[in-house]
Amino acid sequence: MQTAPLIEPVGTSVTAPASALRAAAPALTELEVLDDAVEWMAFSHTSPANPKWLESSVWIDGITCAACATKIEQALCATPGVIRADVSAAAHRATVVWAPDHVKPSGWMQAVRRAGYRALPGYDQAAVELRRRAARLALWRTLVAGLCMMQVMMYAYPAYVAVPGDLSAEMEQLLRWASWLLALPVLLFSCGPFFRGAARDLARGRIGMEFPVALGMLVTFAVSSAGTFDPGGVFGQEVYFDSFTMFVFFLLAGRWLELRLRDRTAGALEALANRLPATVQRLLADGTVELVALRRLRVGDTLRVRAGEAFGADGLILQGQTQVDQSLLTGESHPLQRQAGDTVIGGSYNLLANVDVLVQGVGADTRFACIVDLMHSAASSRPRLAALADRLAGPFLVGVLLAAAAACAYWWPINPGHAVMVAVAVLIVTCPCALALATPTAMLASAGALARQGVLVRRLQALEALAEVDTVVFDKTGTLTTDQMRVSAVTVRPGADPQVAMAMGAAIAEQSLHPLARAITRDAACLASASAYRTSMAREVVGQGVCAEVAPIDGSAAASPLRLGSATFCAVPPGLSGSAQVFLSDVHGWLASYCVVQELRPEAASVVAQLQRSGLEVVMLSGDETAAAQAVAESLGITRVYSLCSPEQKLDRLRSLQADGRRVAMVGDGINDAPVLAAAEVAFAFGQAVPLAQSYADFVILGGQLPLVAQALERSRSTMRVVRQNLAWALAYNLSCIPLAAAGWLPAWLAGLGMAGSSLLVVLNAMRLAQPLAAFDRNR
Amino acid sequence: MEILYLLIPLSVALVFFFLVALWWAIDRGQFEDIDREGARILEESEKG
Repeated sequence: MQTAPLIEPVGTSVTAPASALRAAAPALTELEVLDDAVEWMAFSHTSPANPKWLESSVWIDGITCAACATKIEQALCATPGVIRADVSAAAHRATVVWAPDHVKPSGWMQAVRRAGYRALPGYDQAAVELRRRAARLALWRTLVAGLCMMQVMMYAYPAYVAVPGDLSAEMEQLLRWASWLLALPVLLFSCGPFFRGAARDLARGRIGMEFPVALGMLVTFAVSSAGTFDPGGVFGQEVYFDSFTMFVFFLLAGRWLELRLRDRTAGALEALANRLPATVQRLLADGTVELVALRRLRVGDTLRVRAGEAFGADGLILQGQTQVDQSLLTGESHPLQRQAGDTVIGGSYNLLANVDVLVQGVGADTRFACIVDLMHSAASSRPRLAALADRLAGPFLVGVLLAAAAACAYWWPINPGHAVMVAVAVLIVTCPCALALATPTAMLASAGALARQGVLVRRLQALEALAEVDTVVFDKTGTLTTDQMRVSAVTVRPGADPQVAMAMGAAIAEQSLHPLARAITRDAACLASASAYRTSMAREVVGQGVCAEVAPIDGSAAASPLRLGSATFCAVPPGLSGSAQVFLSDVHGWLASYCVVQELRPEAASVVAQLQRSGLEVVMLSGDETAAAQAVAESLGITRVYSLCSPEQKLDRLRSLQADGRRVAMVGDGINDAPVLAAAEVAFAFGQAVPLAQSYADFVILGGQLPLVAQALERSRSTMRVVRQNLAWALAYNLSCIPLAAAGWLPAWLAGLGMAGSSLLVVLNAMRLAQPLAAFDRNR
Repeated sequence: MEILYLLIPLSVALVFFFLVALWWAIDRGQFEDIDREGARILEESEKG
């Protein structure tokens, strides 16, 4: 382990004797776990160059600049048995070719460590490999078209400038044959994706977007070939190889840039998906520790997670206390305190001390996997506007084909060759790619930016719905307030010393993990002199309270039995209880009572104000009694409050708001209010314990950060603005270009440039939304 | 002028040669991490 603990393990933390680590024979280091054919094949495959070699894909942690890549490559290549190493600084990935007969993965991974970096097995190797191949092929297709285009231009040039009679007939024919020869790879190889796409759509009985383009390509090539080999034919002797190669190149270049832009957003997601450690320490029943690959972990195992490591699975802390960093998963920037009994999520980092964790979820069952999964499913959902664009594309394309045919028929009597090229220009220029890209690219970029801040978008469609919302309903519990309780008032028996009573109450409260008891231990006034008392024989009755003997540390008084808990547990007569929830009693009966309230989130007021400034009405629904709910609402500036609501009443309130024609966004904790969330136009699930998979919410806010509600709303509005810009541009472009092309003013090469340019513009406009939330919405 | 009858077929052959050379470069990943190439000159060379 390279990362040394930042601070020495504290308090109850687990310090395994060194012998325990060695007990499992033979001793395995963390890396040696991977020295097993089963393990290494999970991230390797046989090298195509030599069947005796293996090609492994690994993530490299710690790359900061381009020079790092060379250092790692040198370190790898210096290891005997490593044949080749390619490190990509941009992708933080390396491909290592190595001979299993001479070296094991631990050997070359150790070399990476010595160079100051960490290598993690890349289990998604197959997918990455596939994508890299696709990207290389796309670049190759584009460059083939580009190079052939340049050369075909050279051959076309003499025909353009020569005065009649200047160019001998044989020379002209030779130039045409040369052009034809170079246009052939463009047609057969570069145009491949267009033909395949068109054929796929035709096989399913519909006309896809590729169809007009593919048809245009085929027709241009056919007409030009006829001009080359049968100059006396109906199409005349004109050839259009220059136009053909040019528009193919423009189209492919546009697509390739688009692909690169999209890969960049996908990369952010992938970085998230590769946060889990490769190996974990499993605690055995006899107290020894063994190293196992993460994939071998099962629910019910106990893990030892050292400071500086990532948690490999979801679980419950059994021993130790520490701070965790969940920022990558929830967007929460501050380290969070976690101790025995708290849950931790896989993929977050253990910052402070060693802890033992009982595994509760592994692999696909972890919250981490849910998050990654949600992101993928959201990315593949079709927003309504995009579906509409797809539906419109069918009739639109038929219209395009008819327009092309009409233009061709009109020009035919004048010049058949020119007529065909006009039709081709119409086909190429009207490809509704920009129309189809307008909505999904913008929404995906937005969803990606939101996810990085801790807001998961479950359906892209919800972004559109959110932008139209005019009312935000908060379900008070857990949304406007924190999960934490706060002591608001303490009443002490007349005649008793309040200082002593409160100190003893705090001392006994420290014995319990109950939220109410924890509220007392957090309260400064209660805690002031609690350390002067010692508790013994503490016993907790679940759901009732704690009883213990409490005595001053200096021995000035004898130990007295105290009880802290509910009214019945402390035998407090009903008349005395008032609105307090926690009581303290001694041998004489009631001693003190505590009023505990839920604490408002510090940022709640500013968020409510921000929402109101953006023209939304904020409504609060609460199950609490009227006075408490009113007090909360007043301090936040909310005028419309419905208190004492049962879940059914909350649903009724929501329905009546909707009956008034309001579009409602509901913010709830996602657990108790599922029906209400389901009924609202847009639902936010909020809070730590949201069961992601079953949640009805459209947006899940991971870190419990209220400002994200306002930011998501802001972002949804800017998203829809970008979508509208994109759609308007795509429509205006298509509508204005068809007449131009049909009139013969738009040559085919310009049509190709226009089409590629308009798609690219749409994608670039959408990519503005990939910026972090605050930055974009401020600069707007 | 007659030399053109040789040069034009030659230029076609040359283009095909370049296409293959490009594939060789792409397949070795030379276009994938372009940022890094600029920094290469700053690295100390191992062999003199």
